[in-house]
Amino acid sequence: MKNEYIPKPARIISVKEEVDGQRAIKTFRTQFLEPDGFSYRCGQCAMLSVFGKGESMISISSAPHITDYLQFSVLKTGRVTTALHDLEKDDVIGIRGPYGNGFPVEDWKGKNLVFVGGGIGLAPLWSIVHTAIENKDEYGDVMLIYGARSSNDIVYKDELDGLKKKMTIHLSVDNEEPDWKEFVGFVPQNVMDKKPSPENAIAITCGPPVMIKFTIQSLNELGFNDDQIYTTVENKMKCGIGKCGRCNIGEHYVCKHGPVYSWEKLKTMPQEY
Amino acid sequence: MEKVLLKKDLNSWAGKLGSYDIYAPFKSGDVWGYELMENQAEITLDYPNTAIPPKKILFPQREVLFEFEATQEGGMEIREVLPDDTPKIIFGVRSCDARGLAKLGKISQGGIEDVYFTRRRNQTVIAGLACHNPPSPYCFCTSVGGSPHSLEGMDILMTDLGDAYYLESVTEEGVKLMGSAEGIVTDPDDKQKADKEKIHSDSEKKILLDISDMEKINEALSEIFDTGLWDRESLSCLRCGICTFSCPVCHCFDVNDEIIRTHPLKGKRVRTWDNCQFPDFTMHSSGHNPRSDKASRLRQRVMHKFRYFNENCEEFLCTGCGRCIEKCPVGIDIVEVLEKAKTYEK
Ligand SMILES: Cc1cc2nc3c(=O)[nH]c(=O)nc-3n(C[C@H](O)[C@H](O)[C@H](O)COP(=O)(O)OP(=O)(O)OC[C@H]3O[C@@H](n4cnc5c(N)ncnc54)[C@H](O)[C@@H]3O)c2cc1C
Ligand code: FES
Repeated sequence: MKNEYIPKPARIISVKEEVDGQRAIKTFRTQFLEPDGFSYRCGQCAMLSVFGKGESMISISSAPHITDYLQFSVLKTGRVTTALHDLEKDDVIGIRGPYGNGFPVEDWKGKNLVFVGGGIGLAPLWSIVHTAIENKDEYGDVMLIYGARSSNDIVYKDELDGLKKKMTIHLSVDNEEPDWKEFVGFVPQNVMDKKPSPENAIAITCGPPVMIKFTIQSLNELGFNDDQIYTTVENKMKCGIGKCGRCNIGEHYVCKHGPVYSWEKLKTMPQEY
Repeated sequence: MEKVLLKKDLNSWAGKLGSYDIYAPFKSGDVWGYELMENQAEITLDYPNTAIPPKKILFPQREVLFEFEATQEGGMEIREVLPDDTPKIIFGVRSCDARGLAKLGKISQGGIEDVYFTRRRNQTVIAGLACHNPPSPYCFCTSVGGSPHSLEGMDILMTDLGDAYYLESVTEEGVKLMGSAEGIVTDPDDKQKADKEKIHSDSEKKILLDISDMEKINEALSEIFDTGLWDRESLSCLRCGICTFSCPVCHCFDVNDEIIRTHPLKGKRVRTWDNCQFPDFTMHSSGHNPRSDKASRLRQRVMHKFRYFNENCEEFLCTGCGRCIEKCPVGIDIVEVLEKAKTYEK
């Protein structure tokens, strides 16, 4: 019988500092010590262990077609994530999963995709962004509207520069900065400014709860129906498999039935997220 | 299989079960609890109900999941720590608590299986005991689909006939266990059968609490999610958590690491019972808390038991044992809350 609570040891093969300072973010690439049949879908997550500190649920930010590593981008915030930030290349962590439903990518084939992210919220979107670009002929136009508090808080900076050739990218920062040439203001305002078309489109938004709330308002205003809008929910998690009983929103367990929900569905659920 | 065992022979039967770990109700001070019996001759089934339900035997309050140790090569060795596989018998489990174990089984073994629970459950035989009189004035098993002599979750149901126990096997394991009493037990005569039936039907009538219209409770609760009822009912809550710790079906847990040695690193991952009435149960590290007040936490406890679990498994996550009512230091009464929920005018 498989024991779901046992993580598999994996080695950190690279650490990239995305954001420094108060809201530090690092991106880790990992490889299992022993070959593992770990396969996953876009939008799924994994439980990462820092042995001696505990576990945290983190989105897998690499795309499923990449098989030589798993990538995670982690915001330093508490016990486990701080311990993760203290780790270096060649250190060993534990990984179990994948967990969650992931994005319904099959249903999105042939559609235009509008990604709206804020801060670390680009991490859960990153696997589907890359998948959509990699399989360009299967999807329509791909647009990313992404913002952070300041230019320092933007993740995947180098990659974003490269991707601009392959997709439309609109960036923003909350406040004026001397060398900033793109939009200044909050992400939902940038959405209103860039006016993505709801025609044959799906919008996927991920970020802090307030940003999600106002982004959905903006999208509705632009004519997106609730069933064209998807988002992810982050409730506190311990088990990842519907047993520990803390991630629920009503009868839905975010670890099993989520974290991806259409807004049409989520808005009918109790506001316990 | 149905047999009769004289009370004076209970301990000689238990004496034949040397290969099992035997758990039975045991009184220490004023409080009854399930204990591992060192001495089979001490088993007594003359008790109301235990303070803490038998879930702790299958789902211990603290349990090591695995140990980890850094290796010299820079890797991490992980050693699964499974419960030992000694077969167990739990004597004297009341019908409500046996149903509780069955419900815990649905949660632990439905979907991805919880290896620790399954392993313990598979090696445990439940020899339960029907109630003559409700062990507490707060019992309401009959309102939530149970009865004082329910067979659900039992391997054997025992009924106290005064000088003897009437034994009914419920499962193959029960039949096997009763086989070990051969030579001590006798076949029931007609009078004993009739006595047992009478005790069972009388016991149902003695339950003091009866909640009407339970089939409508799911709908009633769905209509009062956003009302002031929860504020009012939770006002006195001290967040002590006794309601969930003493509950036979509450199963929420926390997972943490304990360090045995820092260099080279060695430690264990441990799970412990947790509690939805604690504020940090759902609190994110950002400080954001989806259930930040007592009202939303009481609502979660009630809704989970009578609505959410009902939606997912078509039954209540409550056995009507009454412990949460009896033990609450400030008198929060789940039956009263349900009654108010049914008649709440928005
Ligand atoms: C589906 C999902 C995907 C996520 N993806 C990412 C990601 O890609 N990158 C990222 O940086 N963060 C992500 N998070 C949030 C991340 O899990 C928490 O920030 C992290 O667990 C905090 O742990 P800590 O030990 O550092 O904090 P502490 O405050 O010390 O937390 C202690 C424990 O509480 C739990 N916990 C606390 N806050 C959260 C939370 N918000 N969500 C879940 N569990 C929590 C964890 O089990 C943690 O070990 C995600 C959360 C979920 C639910
Ligand atoms: S994380 Fe344990 S139930 Fe969802």
